[in-house]
Amino acid sequence: MHVVIERTLKNASSYFQNFFLQDYPTKGTLHSIDPRVKLLSTLLFVILAVSTFEPKKLIFLLFSLIAISAILGLNLRRLFSRVWLFSLFSFVVVLPLLLQDPKYPFLFTLRVLIALVSVQMLIMSSSFAEICSALRSLKVPEVFVQGLWLAYRYIIVVFQDIINILLARESRRVSKGSHMDLWKRGGESVGLFFLRSIERAERVQLAMASRGDKIFGIRSKFGILEIIYIALSLFIVLWCIVL
Amino acid sequence: MHIPDGYLDLNIAGLFLVLTLLVLGYSIYRLRGEKLTSLFGVLSAAIFAAQMLNWPIPGGTSAHFVGGALAGILLGPYAGCLAMAIVLTIQTLVFNDGGITAWGANVWNMAIVDVFIGYYVYRALSGFNRNLAAFIAGWLGITVAAIFAGIEIGLSSSFAYGLAVTVPVMGTWHAALGIIEGTITAGVVSYIATRRAELLEKKEVGKASFVLLAALIALSPVFAYLAESVGYSEPLENAAKILGLEENPIYEGLLPDYSIPGLDPYAGTLISGAVGVLIVLALAYAVRYARSNRKNA
Repeated sequence: MHVVIERTLKNASSYFQNFFLQDYPTKGTLHSIDPRVKLLSTLLFVILAVSTFEPKKLIFLLFSLIAISAILGLNLRRLFSRVWLFSLFSFVVVLPLLLQDPKYPFLFTLRVLIALVSVQMLIMSSSFAEICSALRSLKVPEVFVQGLWLAYRYIIVVFQDIINILLARESRRVSKGSHMDLWKRGGESVGLFFLRSIERAERVQLAMASRGDKIFGIRSKFGILEIIYIALSLFIVLWCIVL
Repeated sequence: MHIPDGYLDLNIAGLFLVLTLLVLGYSIYRLRGEKLTSLFGVLSAAIFAAQMLNWPIPGGTSAHFVGGALAGILLGPYAGCLAMAIVLTIQTLVFNDGGITAWGANVWNMAIVDVFIGYYVYRALSGFNRNLAAFIAGWLGITVAAIFAGIEIGLSSSFAYGLAVTVPVMGTWHAALGIIEGTITAGVVSYIATRRAELLEKKEVGKASFVLLAALIALSPVFAYLAESVGYSEPLENAAKILGLEENPIYEGLLPDYSIPGLDPYAGTLISGAVGVLIVLALAYAVRYARSNRKNA
Protein backbone atom coordinates (compact mmCIF):
# COMPACT_ATOMS: atom_id res chain seq x y z
CA MET A 1 0.00 0.00 0.00
CA HIS A 2 2.84 2.37 0.86
CA VAL A 3 4.43 1.39 -2.40
CA VAL A 4 1.46 2.83 -4.34
CA ILE A 5 2.14 6.42 -3.27
CA GLU A 6 5.90 6.08 -3.69
CA ARG A 7 5.64 4.37 -7.07
CA THR A 8 3.15 6.84 -8.58
CA LEU A 9 5.28 9.69 -7.35
CA LYS A 10 8.51 8.27 -8.75
CA ASN A 11 6.81 7.54 -12.08
CA ALA A 12 5.31 11.04 -12.19
CA SER A 13 8.65 12.59 -11.27
CA SER A 14 10.61 10.72 -13.94
CA TYR A 15 7.85 11.46 -16.48
CA PHE A 16 8.03 15.19 -15.82
CA GLN A 17 11.83 15.25 -15.80
CA ASN A 18 11.82 13.54 -19.21
CA PHE A 19 9.00 15.80 -20.37
CA PHE A 20 10.84 19.00 -19.47
CA LEU A 21 14.17 17.78 -20.82
CA GLN A 22 12.48 16.95 -24.14
CA ASP A 23 11.17 20.45 -24.56
CA TYR A 24 12.92 20.75 -27.91
CA PRO A 25 13.61 17.25 -29.26
CA THR A 26 13.76 18.38 -32.90
CA LYS A 27 13.50 21.78 -34.51
CA GLY A 28 11.25 22.14 -37.52
CA THR A 29 9.92 25.20 -39.30
CA LEU A 30 6.95 25.40 -36.92
CA HIS A 31 9.40 25.84 -34.02
CA SER A 32 10.86 28.94 -35.65
CA ILE A 33 7.53 30.77 -35.91
CA ASP A 34 6.87 33.50 -33.35
CA PRO A 35 4.97 31.97 -30.39
CA ARG A 36 2.54 34.93 -30.33
CA VAL A 37 1.37 33.94 -33.81
CA LYS A 38 1.14 30.26 -32.85
CA LEU A 39 -0.78 31.07 -29.65
CA LEU A 40 -3.38 33.20 -31.44
CA SER A 41 -3.75 30.81 -34.37
CA THR A 42 -4.21 27.91 -31.91
CA LEU A 43 -6.99 29.87 -30.25
CA LEU A 44 -8.60 30.51 -33.64
CA PHE A 45 -8.44 26.84 -34.66
CA VAL A 46 -9.91 25.67 -31.36
CA ILE A 47 -12.76 28.20 -31.52
CA LEU A 48 -13.44 27.15 -35.10
CA ALA A 49 -13.51 23.46 -34.14
CA VAL A 50 -15.84 23.87 -31.17
CA SER A 51 -18.27 26.18 -32.95
CA THR A 52 -19.46 23.73 -35.61
CA PHE A 53 -20.89 20.23 -36.03
CA GLU A 54 -20.68 20.25 -39.83
CA PRO A 55 -18.72 17.19 -41.00
CA LYS A 56 -17.16 18.83 -44.08
CA LYS A 57 -15.84 21.78 -42.05
CA LEU A 58 -14.45 19.53 -39.33
CA ILE A 59 -12.80 17.15 -41.80
CA PHE A 60 -11.30 20.08 -43.73
CA LEU A 61 -9.95 21.58 -40.52
CA LEU A 62 -8.47 18.30 -39.31
CA PHE A 63 -6.71 17.59 -42.60
CA SER A 64 -5.45 21.18 -42.84
CA LEU A 65 -3.91 20.98 -39.37
CA ILE A 66 -2.34 17.58 -40.05
CA ALA A 67 -0.94 18.89 -43.35
CA ILE A 68 0.52 21.99 -41.68
CA SER A 69 2.05 19.86 -38.90
CA ALA A 70 3.61 17.42 -41.37
CA ILE A 71 4.94 20.10 -43.74
CA LEU A 72 6.29 22.31 -40.95
CA GLY A 73 8.24 19.53 -39.27
CA LEU A 74 6.15 18.05 -36.46
CA ASN A 75 6.43 14.33 -35.84
CA LEU A 76 2.93 13.04 -36.65
CA ARG A 77 3.40 9.80 -34.73
CA ARG A 78 4.23 11.75 -31.56
CA LEU A 79 1.37 14.13 -32.23
CA PHE A 80 -1.18 11.31 -32.43
CA SER A 81 0.33 9.47 -29.48
CA ARG A 82 -0.54 12.57 -27.42
CA VAL A 83 -4.14 12.98 -28.61
CA TRP A 84 -5.64 9.54 -29.28
CA LEU A 85 -6.33 8.53 -25.70
CA PHE A 86 -8.45 11.51 -24.75
CA SER A 87 -10.26 11.45 -28.11
CA LEU A 88 -11.14 7.80 -27.46
CA PHE A 89 -12.30 8.69 -23.96
CA SER A 90 -14.59 11.40 -25.38
CA PHE A 91 -15.98 8.91 -27.89
CA VAL A 92 -16.76 6.40 -25.14
CA VAL A 93 -18.50 9.13 -23.08
CA VAL A 94 -20.95 9.97 -25.89
CA LEU A 95 -21.22 6.44 -27.33
CA PRO A 96 -24.55 5.69 -25.56
CA LEU A 97 -26.11 8.39 -27.79
CA LEU A 98 -25.24 6.43 -30.96
CA LEU A 99 -28.77 5.04 -31.33
CA GLN A 100 -30.42 8.47 -30.96
CA ASP A 101 -28.15 10.18 -33.46
CA PRO A 102 -25.58 7.94 -35.20
CA LYS A 103 -23.51 10.92 -36.41
CA TYR A 104 -23.24 12.75 -33.08
CA PRO A 105 -20.59 10.62 -31.28
CA PHE A 106 -18.27 10.79 -34.31
CA LEU A 107 -18.68 14.53 -34.85
CA PHE A 108 -18.32 15.27 -31.14
CA THR A 109 -15.09 13.22 -31.01
CA LEU A 110 -13.83 14.92 -34.17
CA ARG A 111 -14.29 18.36 -32.55
CA VAL A 112 -12.37 17.24 -29.46
CA LEU A 113 -9.63 15.67 -31.62
CA ILE A 114 -9.16 18.85 -33.68
CA ALA A 115 -8.96 20.99 -30.54
CA LEU A 116 -6.37 18.62 -29.04
CA VAL A 117 -4.31 18.60 -32.26
CA SER A 118 -4.38 22.43 -32.38
CA VAL A 119 -3.13 22.76 -28.80
CA GLN A 120 -0.49 20.06 -29.32
CA MET A 121 0.82 21.93 -32.37
CA LEU A 122 1.54 24.84 -30.01
CA ILE A 123 2.90 22.73 -27.15
CA MET A 124 5.16 20.56 -29.31
CA SER A 125 6.68 23.51 -31.15
CA SER A 126 7.17 26.05 -28.32
CA SER A 127 9.03 26.00 -25.02
CA PHE A 128 7.11 27.15 -21.97
CA ALA A 129 9.40 30.18 -21.69
CA GLU A 130 8.32 31.23 -25.18
CA ILE A 131 4.65 30.75 -24.31
CA CYS A 132 5.12 32.87 -21.16
CA SER A 133 6.84 35.62 -23.18
CA ALA A 134 4.02 35.48 -25.72
CA LEU A 135 1.44 35.82 -22.93
CA ARG A 136 3.35 38.81 -21.55
CA SER A 137 3.44 40.40 -25.02
CA LEU A 138 -0.33 39.90 -25.22
CA LYS A 139 -0.65 42.00 -22.02
CA VAL A 140 -1.43 39.19 -19.58
CA PRO A 141 -0.58 40.71 -16.14
CA GLU A 142 3.08 40.34 -15.17
CA VAL A 143 2.31 38.95 -11.72
CA PHE A 144 0.36 36.07 -13.28
CA VAL A 145 2.94 35.26 -15.98
CA GLN A 146 5.78 35.46 -13.46
CA GLY A 147 3.92 33.07 -11.15
CA LEU A 148 3.31 30.75 -14.10
CA TRP A 149 6.99 30.70 -15.04
CA LEU A 150 8.14 30.26 -11.46
CA ALA A 151 5.73 27.37 -10.87
CA TYR A 152 6.87 25.65 -14.06
CA ARG A 153 10.56 25.97 -13.13
CA TYR A 154 10.02 24.65 -9.59
CA ILE A 155 7.92 21.59 -10.46
CA ILE A 156 10.97 19.29 -10.68
CA VAL A 157 12.50 20.78 -7.50
CA VAL A 158 9.34 20.23 -5.46
CA PHE A 159 8.99 16.71 -6.87
CA GLN A 160 12.46 15.97 -5.54
CA ASP A 161 11.41 17.43 -2.17
CA ILE A 162 8.37 15.21 -1.83
CA ILE A 163 10.33 12.11 -2.88
CA ASN A 164 12.99 12.89 -0.26
CA ILE A 165 10.33 13.31 2.44
CA LEU A 166 8.64 10.03 1.54
CA LEU A 167 11.99 8.23 1.33
CA ALA A 168 13.01 9.50 4.79
CA ARG A 169 9.69 8.42 6.29
CA GLU A 170 9.86 5.05 4.54
CA SER A 171 13.37 4.38 5.86
CA ARG A 172 12.17 5.06 9.42
CA ARG A 173 9.09 2.82 9.11
CA VAL A 174 9.37 -0.50 10.95
CA SER A 175 5.94 -2.09 10.41
CA LYS A 176 3.59 -2.38 7.46
CA GLY A 177 0.77 -0.50 9.19
CA SER A 178 -2.91 -0.17 8.30
CA HIS A 179 -4.76 2.11 5.87
CA MET A 180 -5.36 4.45 8.79
CA ASP A 181 -1.62 4.66 9.56
CA LEU A 182 -0.85 5.28 5.93
CA TRP A 183 -3.34 8.15 5.69
CA LYS A 184 -2.08 9.64 8.94
CA ARG A 185 1.57 9.46 7.89
CA GLY A 186 0.66 10.59 4.38
CA GLY A 187 -1.13 13.67 5.76
CA GLU A 188 1.93 14.49 7.88
CA SER A 189 4.24 14.03 4.89
CA VAL A 190 2.17 16.28 2.66
CA GLY A 191 1.91 18.81 5.53
CA LEU A 192 5.71 18.81 5.87
CA PHE A 193 6.03 19.09 2.10
CA PHE A 194 3.82 22.20 2.02
CA LEU A 195 5.73 23.71 4.95
CA ARG A 196 9.03 23.20 3.14
CA SER A 197 7.52 24.67 -0.03
CA ILE A 198 6.41 27.78 1.86
CA GLU A 199 9.88 28.15 3.40
CA ARG A 200 11.45 27.68 -0.04
CA ALA A 201 9.09 30.34 -1.43
CA GLU A 202 10.21 32.76 1.29
CA ARG A 203 13.88 32.19 0.33
CA VAL A 204 13.09 32.51 -3.38
CA GLN A 205 11.29 35.81 -2.73
CA LEU A 206 14.39 37.18 -1.02
CA ALA A 207 16.60 35.98 -3.87
CA MET A 208 14.26 37.53 -6.45
CA ALA A 209 14.24 40.81 -4.57
CA SER A 210 18.05 40.91 -4.51
CA ARG A 211 18.74 39.98 -8.12
CA GLY A 212 15.50 40.92 -9.92
CA ASP A 213 13.52 38.52 -12.05
CA LYS A 214 11.27 39.60 -14.88
CA ILE A 215 9.57 37.96 -17.80
CA PHE A 216 9.98 40.18 -20.79
CA GLY A 217 7.51 40.21 -23.65
CA ILE A 218 8.72 39.49 -27.17
CA ARG A 219 9.38 42.72 -29.00
CA SER A 220 10.74 41.46 -32.33
CA LYS A 221 8.80 42.22 -35.51
CA PHE A 222 7.16 39.50 -37.56
CA GLY A 223 9.26 38.03 -40.40
CA ILE A 224 8.22 36.43 -43.67
CA LEU A 225 7.63 33.07 -41.92
CA GLU A 226 5.15 34.62 -39.48
CA ILE A 227 3.35 36.48 -42.28
CA ILE A 228 2.99 33.24 -44.29
CA TYR A 229 1.71 31.39 -41.20
CA ILE A 230 -0.81 34.15 -40.42
CA ALA A 231 -2.00 34.11 -44.05
CA LEU A 232 -2.30 30.31 -43.95
CA SER A 233 -4.26 30.38 -40.70
CA LEU A 234 -6.61 33.09 -41.97
CA PHE A 235 -7.10 31.16 -45.20
CA ILE A 236 -8.10 28.04 -43.25
CA VAL A 237 -10.47 30.07 -41.06
CA LEU A 238 -12.12 31.83 -44.02
CA TRP A 239 -12.35 28.61 -46.05
CA CYS A 240 -13.96 26.88 -43.09
CA ILE A 241 -16.51 29.69 -42.76
CA VAL A 242 -17.50 29.74 -46.44
CA LEU A 243 -17.43 25.93 -46.84
CA MET B 1 -12.95 17.68 -13.46
CA HIS B 2 -10.94 19.42 -16.20
CA ILE B 3 -13.37 20.26 -19.00
CA PRO B 4 -11.73 19.79 -22.43
CA ASP B 5 -12.34 21.80 -25.60
CA GLY B 6 -15.47 20.74 -27.47
CA TYR B 7 -17.61 20.01 -24.41
CA LEU B 8 -18.82 23.58 -23.78
CA ASP B 9 -20.82 25.92 -26.00
CA LEU B 10 -18.87 29.06 -26.84
CA ASN B 11 -21.42 31.33 -25.11
CA ILE B 12 -21.13 29.35 -21.85
CA ALA B 13 -17.32 29.27 -22.18
CA GLY B 14 -17.33 33.04 -22.86
CA LEU B 15 -19.57 33.79 -19.88
CA PHE B 16 -17.29 31.90 -17.50
CA LEU B 17 -14.19 33.44 -19.07
CA VAL B 18 -15.55 36.92 -18.30
CA LEU B 19 -16.52 35.97 -14.72
CA THR B 20 -13.12 34.36 -14.17
CA LEU B 21 -11.20 37.35 -15.53
CA LEU B 22 -13.20 39.64 -13.25
CA VAL B 23 -12.35 37.63 -10.14
CA LEU B 24 -8.69 37.07 -11.12
CA GLY B 25 -8.34 40.76 -11.99
CA TYR B 26 -9.80 41.72 -8.63
CA SER B 27 -7.48 39.26 -6.86
CA ILE B 28 -4.42 40.74 -8.62
CA TYR B 29 -5.66 44.20 -7.66
CA ARG B 30 -6.03 43.14 -4.02
CA LEU B 31 -2.52 41.70 -3.98
CA ARG B 32 -0.88 44.75 -5.56
CA GLY B 33 2.26 45.85 -3.78
CA GLU B 34 2.56 42.57 -1.86
CA LYS B 35 5.67 40.55 -2.70
CA LEU B 36 3.83 37.27 -3.03
CA THR B 37 4.80 36.12 -6.54
CA SER B 38 7.28 33.53 -5.29
CA LEU B 39 4.87 32.30 -2.62
CA PHE B 40 2.06 31.45 -4.99
CA GLY B 41 4.51 30.47 -7.74
CA VAL B 42 6.33 27.86 -5.62
CA LEU B 43 3.12 26.77 -3.87
CA SER B 44 1.50 26.28 -7.29
CA ALA B 45 4.35 23.91 -8.13
CA ALA B 46 3.80 22.17 -4.77
CA ILE B 47 0.05 21.81 -5.41
CA PHE B 48 0.85 20.46 -8.87
CA ALA B 49 3.19 17.86 -7.33
CA ALA B 50 0.69 16.99 -4.57
CA GLN B 51 -1.96 16.38 -7.25
CA MET B 52 0.29 13.64 -8.63
CA LEU B 53 0.04 11.62 -5.41
CA ASN B 54 -2.42 8.79 -5.87
CA TRP B 55 -3.91 7.83 -2.52
CA PRO B 56 -4.87 4.16 -2.18
CA ILE B 57 -8.49 3.42 -1.28
CA PRO B 58 -9.55 -0.02 0.08
CA GLY B 59 -10.79 -2.07 -2.86
CA GLY B 60 -7.82 -1.59 -5.15
CA THR B 61 -8.52 1.89 -6.50
CA SER B 62 -6.98 5.29 -5.84
CA ALA B 63 -7.82 8.99 -6.03
CA HIS B 64 -5.83 12.21 -6.14
CA PHE B 65 -5.86 15.50 -4.31
CA VAL B 66 -6.95 18.81 -5.96
CA GLY B 67 -5.90 21.31 -3.29
CA GLY B 68 -8.22 24.28 -3.91
CA ALA B 69 -9.43 24.59 -0.32
CA LEU B 70 -5.90 24.07 1.02
CA ALA B 71 -4.57 26.82 -1.26
CA GLY B 72 -7.26 29.16 0.12
CA ILE B 73 -6.52 28.23 3.74
CA LEU B 74 -2.72 28.63 3.38
CA LEU B 75 -2.57 31.68 1.11
CA GLY B 76 -5.91 33.40 1.61
CA PRO B 77 -8.57 33.46 -1.11
CA TYR B 78 -6.88 35.93 -3.49
CA ALA B 79 -3.39 34.43 -3.66
CA GLY B 80 -4.99 30.97 -3.36
CA CYS B 81 -7.14 31.45 -6.43
CA LEU B 82 -4.16 32.83 -8.37
CA ALA B 83 -2.06 29.80 -7.34
CA MET B 84 -4.75 27.40 -8.51
CA ALA B 85 -5.24 29.39 -11.73
CA ILE B 86 -1.49 29.01 -12.38
CA VAL B 87 -1.68 25.23 -11.84
CA LEU B 88 -4.64 24.98 -14.23
CA THR B 89 -2.95 27.19 -16.85
CA ILE B 90 0.19 25.02 -16.81
CA GLN B 91 -1.99 21.92 -17.09
CA THR B 92 -3.73 23.46 -20.12
CA LEU B 93 -0.71 24.93 -21.91
CA VAL B 94 1.86 22.24 -21.14
CA PHE B 95 -0.08 19.00 -20.70
CA ASN B 96 -3.25 19.82 -22.66
CA ASP B 97 -5.27 18.82 -19.58
CA GLY B 98 -8.37 21.04 -19.84
CA GLY B 99 -9.31 22.98 -22.94
CA ILE B 100 -8.18 26.43 -24.02
CA THR B 101 -11.76 27.57 -24.66
CA ALA B 102 -12.82 25.91 -21.38
CA TRP B 103 -10.00 27.60 -19.41
CA GLY B 104 -12.39 30.19 -17.95
CA ALA B 105 -14.85 27.53 -16.78
CA ASN B 106 -12.10 25.30 -15.35
CA VAL B 107 -10.50 28.17 -13.44
CA TRP B 108 -13.94 29.27 -12.24
CA ASN B 109 -14.70 25.79 -10.84
CA MET B 110 -11.36 24.73 -9.38
CA ALA B 111 -9.59 28.02 -8.66
CA ILE B 112 -12.46 30.30 -7.65
CA VAL B 113 -15.44 28.27 -6.39
CA ASP B 114 -13.27 25.62 -4.70
CA VAL B 115 -10.81 28.12 -3.16
CA PHE B 116 -13.33 30.73 -1.98
CA ILE B 117 -15.83 28.22 -0.61
CA GLY B 118 -13.01 26.24 1.03
CA TYR B 119 -11.55 29.37 2.59
CA TYR B 120 -14.81 30.78 3.97
CA VAL B 121 -16.11 27.45 5.24
CA TYR B 122 -12.80 26.92 7.05
CA ARG B 123 -12.93 30.44 8.53
CA ALA B 124 -16.54 29.99 9.65
CA LEU B 125 -15.97 26.63 11.32
CA SER B 126 -12.34 26.67 12.51
CA GLY B 127 -13.40 28.23 15.82
CA PHE B 128 -15.30 25.04 16.67
CA ASN B 129 -12.84 22.42 15.48
CA ARG B 130 -9.90 23.15 13.16
CA ASN B 131 -9.59 19.65 11.67
CA LEU B 132 -13.31 19.25 11.09
CA ALA B 133 -13.40 22.71 9.50
CA ALA B 134 -10.56 21.77 7.12
CA PHE B 135 -12.28 18.49 6.26
CA ILE B 136 -15.62 20.16 5.47
CA ALA B 137 -13.84 22.95 3.55
CA GLY B 138 -12.02 20.39 1.35
CA TRP B 139 -15.11 18.25 0.85
CA LEU B 140 -17.58 21.07 0.16
CA GLY B 141 -15.20 23.04 -2.07
CA ILE B 142 -14.58 20.16 -4.44
CA THR B 143 -18.23 19.02 -4.43
CA VAL B 144 -19.63 22.47 -5.26
CA ALA B 145 -16.90 22.94 -7.91
CA ALA B 146 -17.95 19.65 -9.52
CA ILE B 147 -21.62 20.68 -9.45
CA PHE B 148 -20.66 23.90 -11.25
CA ALA B 149 -18.77 21.83 -13.85
CA GLY B 150 -21.89 19.65 -14.26
CA ILE B 151 -24.07 22.75 -14.75
CA GLU B 152 -21.70 24.22 -17.36
CA ILE B 153 -21.51 20.99 -19.37
CA GLY B 154 -25.20 20.22 -18.93
CA LEU B 155 -26.27 23.65 -20.17
CA SER B 156 -24.10 23.31 -23.29
CA SER B 157 -26.03 22.03 -26.29
CA SER B 158 -22.77 20.66 -27.80
CA PHE B 159 -22.77 18.01 -25.08
CA ALA B 160 -25.86 15.93 -25.68
CA TYR B 161 -26.42 14.95 -22.04
CA GLY B 162 -28.59 17.44 -20.14
CA LEU B 163 -28.41 18.81 -16.63
CA ALA B 164 -30.45 15.86 -15.37
CA VAL B 165 -27.47 13.61 -16.16
CA THR B 166 -24.40 15.84 -15.77
CA VAL B 167 -25.16 17.47 -12.41
CA PRO B 168 -25.99 14.24 -10.51
CA VAL B 169 -23.04 12.41 -12.09
CA MET B 170 -20.51 15.13 -11.31
CA GLY B 171 -22.02 16.02 -7.92
CA THR B 172 -22.43 12.47 -6.62
CA TRP B 173 -19.00 11.21 -7.68
CA HIS B 174 -17.20 14.23 -6.35
CA ALA B 175 -19.19 14.21 -3.11
CA ALA B 176 -17.74 10.72 -2.60
CA LEU B 177 -14.22 11.63 -3.80
CA GLY B 178 -14.47 14.84 -1.76
CA ILE B 179 -14.14 12.72 1.40
CA ILE B 180 -10.55 12.02 0.33
CA GLU B 181 -9.95 15.68 -0.49
CA GLY B 182 -11.35 16.66 2.91
CA THR B 183 -9.27 14.05 4.75
CA ILE B 184 -6.00 15.15 3.09
CA THR B 185 -6.82 18.83 3.65
CA ALA B 186 -7.52 18.11 7.33
CA GLY B 187 -4.28 16.08 7.64
CA VAL B 188 -2.16 18.85 6.14
CA VAL B 189 -3.84 21.62 8.15
CA SER B 190 -3.48 19.59 11.37
CA TYR B 191 0.26 19.09 10.71
CA ILE B 192 0.89 22.74 9.84
CA ALA B 193 -1.06 23.85 12.95
CA THR B 194 1.40 21.95 15.13
CA ARG B 195 4.52 23.32 13.37
CA ARG B 196 3.75 26.84 12.11
CA ALA B 197 0.32 27.83 13.31
CA GLU B 198 0.83 31.44 12.18
CA LEU B 199 0.43 30.30 8.56
CA LEU B 200 -3.19 29.41 9.33
CA GLU B 201 -4.04 32.75 10.86
CA LYS B 202 -6.86 34.76 9.35
CA LYS B 203 -5.83 36.47 6.11
CA GLU B 204 -6.96 40.06 5.69
CA VAL B 205 -9.71 39.92 3.10
CA GLY B 206 -12.01 42.81 3.95
CA LYS B 207 -15.67 43.29 3.16
CA ALA B 208 -15.19 43.33 -0.60
CA SER B 209 -14.49 39.60 -0.51
CA PHE B 210 -17.85 39.00 1.12
CA VAL B 211 -19.40 40.93 -1.75
CA LEU B 212 -17.45 38.75 -4.16
CA LEU B 213 -18.63 35.57 -2.46
CA ALA B 214 -22.19 36.88 -2.32
CA ALA B 215 -21.96 37.56 -6.07
CA LEU B 216 -20.73 34.01 -6.55
CA ILE B 217 -23.65 32.57 -4.60
CA ALA B 218 -26.08 34.99 -6.21
CA LEU B 219 -25.19 33.49 -9.58
CA SER B 220 -26.87 30.24 -8.58
CA PRO B 221 -30.41 31.55 -9.24
CA VAL B 222 -29.22 32.71 -12.67
CA PHE B 223 -28.23 29.14 -13.39
CA ALA B 224 -31.62 28.03 -12.12
CA TYR B 225 -33.16 30.47 -14.59
CA LEU B 226 -31.06 29.02 -17.37
CA ALA B 227 -32.00 25.54 -16.23
CA GLU B 228 -35.66 26.48 -16.51
CA SER B 229 -35.14 27.82 -19.99
CA VAL B 230 -33.61 24.53 -21.15
CA GLY B 231 -36.43 22.53 -19.57
CA TYR B 232 -34.47 20.95 -16.71
CA SER B 233 -36.34 18.62 -14.41
CA GLU B 234 -35.22 16.45 -11.49
CA PRO B 235 -34.09 12.90 -12.38
CA LEU B 236 -36.60 11.57 -9.82
CA GLU B 237 -39.38 13.52 -11.54
CA ASN B 238 -38.35 11.98 -14.87
CA ALA B 239 -38.41 8.51 -13.31
CA ALA B 240 -41.88 9.21 -11.84
CA LYS B 241 -43.11 10.37 -15.25
CA ILE B 242 -41.84 7.19 -16.93
CA LEU B 243 -43.52 5.05 -14.25
CA GLY B 244 -46.78 7.05 -14.48
CA LEU B 245 -46.66 8.12 -10.83
CA GLU B 246 -48.40 11.25 -9.61
CA GLU B 247 -47.25 13.69 -6.95
CA ASN B 248 -49.43 13.79 -3.85
CA PRO B 249 -47.85 16.39 -1.53
CA ILE B 250 -48.72 16.48 2.17
CA TYR B 251 -47.39 20.04 2.50
CA GLU B 252 -46.50 22.18 -0.50
CA GLY B 253 -44.21 24.63 1.31
CA LEU B 254 -44.07 28.41 1.06
CA LEU B 255 -42.49 28.36 -2.40
CA PRO B 256 -43.81 25.14 -3.99
CA ASP B 257 -41.43 23.62 -6.55
CA TYR B 258 -39.23 26.77 -6.43
CA SER B 259 -42.06 28.97 -7.72
CA ILE B 260 -44.41 31.67 -6.43
CA PRO B 261 -48.09 30.95 -7.10
CA GLY B 262 -49.51 33.45 -9.58
CA LEU B 263 -46.10 34.64 -10.77
CA ASP B 264 -44.26 33.88 -14.01
CA PRO B 265 -42.34 30.57 -13.44
CA TYR B 266 -38.95 32.08 -14.45
CA ALA B 267 -39.37 35.08 -12.17
CA GLY B 268 -40.65 32.74 -9.44
CA THR B 269 -37.52 30.55 -9.72
CA LEU B 270 -35.26 33.60 -9.56
CA ILE B 271 -37.01 34.99 -6.48
CA SER B 272 -37.07 31.53 -4.82
CA GLY B 273 -33.34 31.21 -5.41
CA ALA B 274 -32.72 34.66 -3.92
CA VAL B 275 -34.88 33.85 -0.89
CA GLY B 276 -32.96 30.59 -0.36
CA VAL B 277 -29.63 32.43 -0.54
CA LEU B 278 -30.84 35.03 1.95
CA ILE B 279 -32.01 32.34 4.40
CA VAL B 280 -28.62 30.57 4.20
CA LEU B 281 -26.74 33.86 4.67
CA ALA B 282 -28.98 34.82 7.61
CA LEU B 283 -28.39 31.43 9.28
CA ALA B 284 -24.64 31.71 8.72
CA TYR B 285 -24.65 35.20 10.19
CA ALA B 286 -26.71 33.99 13.18
CA VAL B 287 -24.20 31.20 13.89
CA ARG B 288 -21.33 33.70 13.64
CA TYR B 289 -23.14 36.14 15.96
CA ALA B 290 -23.90 33.40 18.48
CA ARG B 291 -20.25 32.31 18.44
CA SER B 292 -18.88 35.81 18.97
CA ASN B 293 -21.35 36.32 21.85
CA ARG B 294 -20.20 33.07 23.44
CA LYS B 295 -16.56 34.13 23.12
CA ASN B 296 -17.29 37.55 24.66
CA ALA B 297 -19.12 35.90 27.55
